[in-house]
Amino acid sequence: MLSRPTTEQILLDCCRELMEGVLPALSDETAQVRVIMLDAVLKNTAVRAAHEIAWMLDETAAIDDYVHAVRAAVPGDEAVRSAAEALAAAPRHDLHLDAVVEAYCVAGKAFSAALEAAVTGRLPDLVARGEQLLEQRRDREIEVMAGWSSTGR
Amino acid sequence: MPDPVHLDAPSLQKFLDGTEPDRHGTVVSFRPVSGGYSRLTAITTVTWGDGTDEAMVLRADPPPGSGIFHSDRDAEWHFLRAMHGRAPVRTARPRYYDATGEYFGAKCIAVEFFAGRPLPELAKSGASGAVDRAREIFVDTAAKIHSTPIDVLPPDMARPPDWSTYIDELVEFLRTIDDSVSDSNPALHYAAAQLKEHRPPPVPLTLVHGDFQPANLLVADWADWADWADWADWADWIDGSGGDPLVIDWEFARIGDPREDLGYYSQLKLPPNLYETDPDGFLARYREHTGLTEEQINRDTIEYFYLLGMARLLGQLIHAADDLYRGNPRGVMATYLFNAISDAMHRFFDIARRLAS
Repeated sequence: MLSRPTTEQILLDCCRELMEGVLPALSDETAQVRVIMLDAVLKNTAVRAAHEIAWMLDETAAIDDYVHAVRAAVPGDEAVRSAAEALAAAPRHDLHLDAVVEAYCVAGKAFSAALEAAVTGRLPDLVARGEQLLEQRRDREIEVMAGWSSTGR
Repeated sequence: MPDPVHLDAPSLQKFLDGTEPDRHGTVVSFRPVSGGYSRLTAITTVTWGDGTDEAMVLRADPPPGSGIFHSDRDAEWHFLRAMHGRAPVRTARPRYYDATGEYFGAKCIAVEFFAGRPLPELAKSGASGAVDRAREIFVDTAAKIHSTPIDVLPPDMARPPDWSTYIDELVEFLRTIDDSVSDSNPALHYAAAQLKEHRPPPVPLTLVHGDFQPANLLVADWADWADWADWADWADWIDGSGGDPLVIDWEFARIGDPREDLGYYSQLKLPPNLYETDPDGFLARYREHTGLTEEQINRDTIEYFYLLGMARLLGQLIHAADDLYRGNPRGVMATYLFNAISDAMHRFFDIARRLAS
């Protein structure tokens, strides 16, 4: 396959074309807004294309460790136990995007269960560790947002 | 395939001919209004057979499967009919309802047009004291909404049994938003767990607007605001002649905790945010009008209720994203708003962590 330009570069070039070539030619206000939205979506997608597999693999491994730590602290928590088992069974060595996303979603559900158990079990060290993982997720999402800011409804 | 929804002048003309045949109305102007995340909107003028003109605003459901935020037109219609002239806050006079979509291809509400400007225009007018005056209007309107007698509201509007049960259910709703979607949102679960652990003092349940923001308050178009030296004259006019702002967009109205409205607005990043610019003044005025205590109404409780006030709309955003994954795209707006989900999640995390500290 052709690898250069990268997917990120191709998508960003599409953004440039939309904003410089298409948008100025539009007179319909609704169509203009749609193009501006598409530009934002493509910019988000470009960031994802560049990093998402690496980020998800990295985060899934960190969540795996965290879920094991919470499970050890609250061995009787059924939600954590079943989520940890689902994570253990998730595909982990397939780098195709669908497989990585599948494992990441399973990890996310396990992370959710572990976070709830840590908060309700009043386990400050594990709560703090979970918060660090959430910070990392937030920082990457901010990068994906590519400068987007909320404008309200 | 033709658009199943046709919010246009010919459809309105057929509607008038079918529902008011004796009044011989003619649609003389019809202007779709762009914007809005959920409903199709248009402004129209009708000239009746006796020569009088009537301006109306029409709100219709979007085509099935499109749009982001779903709400119930029947409930909104019943609500508007129940509220008009009976509530402490001014609402639009309901005029007509195509309850079956027979004429417009979708359920469509018509209300009386109100010649006003959104409150943010007033706040940004540049007049001396404009932001402070806009804040007073906003807070006073909130207090009036929240003082609406419950028995005014439609009988089919859900009545929670008590505050504690209501909050428990709302936190559980937040916790389970992603149960039926394919993705996961750990920050939601973290926030819900922290909300459960750190509940604020209760307050009486009241009518909640559900999308309470200055853009949904229309102030009578009375004068050139920017020319005013101060607001005293205008305040006298408002107080003396019933010039309360008209409150619109009630589609998410419900009975709930009034702090949901305040919390929802507190984080809205449309400048000037009337809460952020003076949170203590904002809250003091609200307490003064409602009699609620500082323990009930303070910066922490408002942050707490940002999370709960946003819960329903966030749930709709998350489900719209999931629909795209399942092959049912809701349009570019829904995709564009993926970022709004991330943005809300970040705030949820930050606020929940702060509340717990």
